[in-house]
Amino acid sequence: MNQTLTIARRELTSLFFSPIAYVVLGIFSAGTAMLFFLQFGPNNPASLKTTMEGVIWLMIFLVPAISMRLLSEEFRNGTIEMLMTSPLTDTQIVCGKWLGAMGFFVTLLLPLLVLTVVLECFSDPDYGPIVTGLLGLILVGGFYLAIGTFASALSENQIITFLLTVFIICLFTLVLFFLPAASFITPGIRKTLFYLHVNSQFADFSKGLLDLTKFIYFISGTALFLFMAVKLLESKRWR
Amino acid sequence: MIQVKNLVKWYGPNRAVDDISFEVPQGQIVGFLGPNGAGKSTTLRILTGYLPPTGGSASIAGCDVLTQSIEARRQIGYLPESTPLYPEMRVEEFLHFRGKLMNMTRADRNKAIDYVADRCGLVQIRRRIIGQLSKGNRQRVGIAQALLHDPKVLILDEPTAGLDPVQIGAVRNLITELKGKHTILLSSHILPEIEKTADRVLIIAGGKIKADGSPAELRTQVAQGARILIELKAEPAAVRKAFTGLDHVVSVEVQAREGGCRAIVSPQDDCDLRETLGQTALTNGWLIREMRNETASLEQFFIQITADQEHATPSEASLAS
Repeated sequence: MNQTLTIARRELTSLFFSPIAYVVLGIFSAGTAMLFFLQFGPNNPASLKTTMEGVIWLMIFLVPAISMRLLSEEFRNGTIEMLMTSPLTDTQIVCGKWLGAMGFFVTLLLPLLVLTVVLECFSDPDYGPIVTGLLGLILVGGFYLAIGTFASALSENQIITFLLTVFIICLFTLVLFFLPAASFITPGIRKTLFYLHVNSQFADFSKGLLDLTKFIYFISGTALFLFMAVKLLESKRWR
Repeated sequence: MIQVKNLVKWYGPNRAVDDISFEVPQGQIVGFLGPNGAGKSTTLRILTGYLPPTGGSASIAGCDVLTQSIEARRQIGYLPESTPLYPEMRVEEFLHFRGKLMNMTRADRNKAIDYVADRCGLVQIRRRIIGQLSKGNRQRVGIAQALLHDPKVLILDEPTAGLDPVQIGAVRNLITELKGKHTILLSSHILPEIEKTADRVLIIAGGKIKADGSPAELRTQVAQGARILIELKAEPAAVRKAFTGLDHVVSVEVQAREGGCRAIVSPQDDCDLRETLGQTALTNGWLIREMRNETASLEQFFIQITADQEHATPSEASLAS
C-alpha cells in the first residue's frame, strides 16, 4: 500500500510539472464557467445540475489528456524497467498510476466549488445535489481514468493513447446516446444499452439521488479496466 | 549468490539466450562480455525479474527469479542499460522515491542517500534536476539508486556506455571500491574495461557462454597463438629458406617490404625463438630493422569469438525459420 502511494505521489507531482496539466486545468475551468453562466440568471434553478451534465461531455476530451502519459511515458523513458524490477507487483504500479491521476482530477473539480460560492452569493442553493453531483463526477472521472490507464498500457505513443481513450469513452457516452434510437435495437437490448450509458448513470447523482446500482456500475467499470491494464502490463514481460 | 541453470530465452523465432549455466559466489565481480546482441542484456533482465525465462531457472541469494520474484528483486540493485531516470525530478527527490519503493524508512533513506551521494560523487548535484545533468552524472545517479538499499547483488548493464575516458575511470574505481561488499555482475562490450575490474570474465556470444575464467586464465589460453614478427634487410626467398629450416618452427610467412622483407614466424608450443632468429640473421649478415613478440591479446580472442557469432547467425536463423 505504501509503495502504491509512493507511485501515486510521484505521478501527481510530475503531472504538475507538465504543461499539459495546466492546459487541461485552464480549459476545464473556462469550460465549466461557460456552462455555468449559460444558465445563470433569474428564474433559473440555483443548482449545478446542468453544469455538471455538461462537464461530463467536457471530460471526454480532458480526462484522456491527463491519463495519456501514465504508462506510455514510462515505456518511452524506459523507467518502466526500473519499476518492474523493484519489489513491486504490477497491480501496485497500475493502481499507483491511477491514484496519482485521480488526485489531479479531484483538483480539477475545484472550480465547481467556486461556482457553488457564486450560487450562494446570489441565492439559496440546495447543497445535497451539489455534493452527490461532485461524488458522481469523481466516480465518472475514476472510470474514465481507468480507461485511460488501460489505453496507456497499450502503447508508448501518447497520441495513440489519447485517441484510443477518447474512442473508448465515446463508446460509453456518444455511441450509447445515439444507438438506442436505431431501428434494429429491440427493447431488451435498449434497456441494457441504457444501463451501460455513462450519462444516464450519472443523471441520478446530479439530481441528488444515491443509488447503489450506480455505484456498482462505476466501481466495477473502473475495476475492470484497471484489471485489464494490469494484465496488459504483465503480458509485456512475456513479449 | 547467483545461480543460473540451463537458461533459455526465445524472442519469437530467435533464440537470444541458449542454454546458459553459471554460478557466481558471494563477493565476486563478474564481467559479462560480448558483442552487441549476444544475449547479455537479456540474461541480466531475466536475473532482475524483468523478463521471464523461456526455459531453465535462475536464483538470486536462494530466491528463484520466477516463483519468488519479489523476494529476489529485493536482493538486487539494478542499473538498466539506458539508465532510465525521471527527467523532471531532482536527484535527491529521485533517490528518496527509489528508497520508498524499497520500503526503507525515512531515517534509513537519509543515511543511505548521504552514503551513496558521497560514494558516487553526487554531493555537488544533489539538488539539481535530473533532466539537466550530463550523461556522466546521470550514470552516477543510476549507480547510486542501485546501491541505495545496500543490495547483496549489484547488476550493472553497461555502466560505462557513453562516458568519456575520465568518467569511465571514475566508474571503474567505484566498482573496484565496492568489491567484497556486494556480488557484482556487470556487462560490457568493451574488453579492457572488464579486464581491469572483474575477478572473472564470462564471454558470451550468440546466446552461449564461449569462455569462462579470470582475465589471466583467459590470457594464457590466448597466449598459445603467440608469434614473432621480424623485419630484415634481406631477400624474401633466402629468409624463408633459412627460417623454415630451424628447429621448433611451425610455419613462416614472408612478405616483401621496401628493400627487405617481413617474416612472421609461428613457434612450436611456447618456445621463445627470438634469440635463434637473431642468430640466424647475424650469421647470414642480414640487418634487423625490427623484431617483436606478437602475443595475441584478449582483444583478438574476443574478436575471433565475435566473428564466429556472425558466421553462426545466418545458419541459426534459417534453422529457426
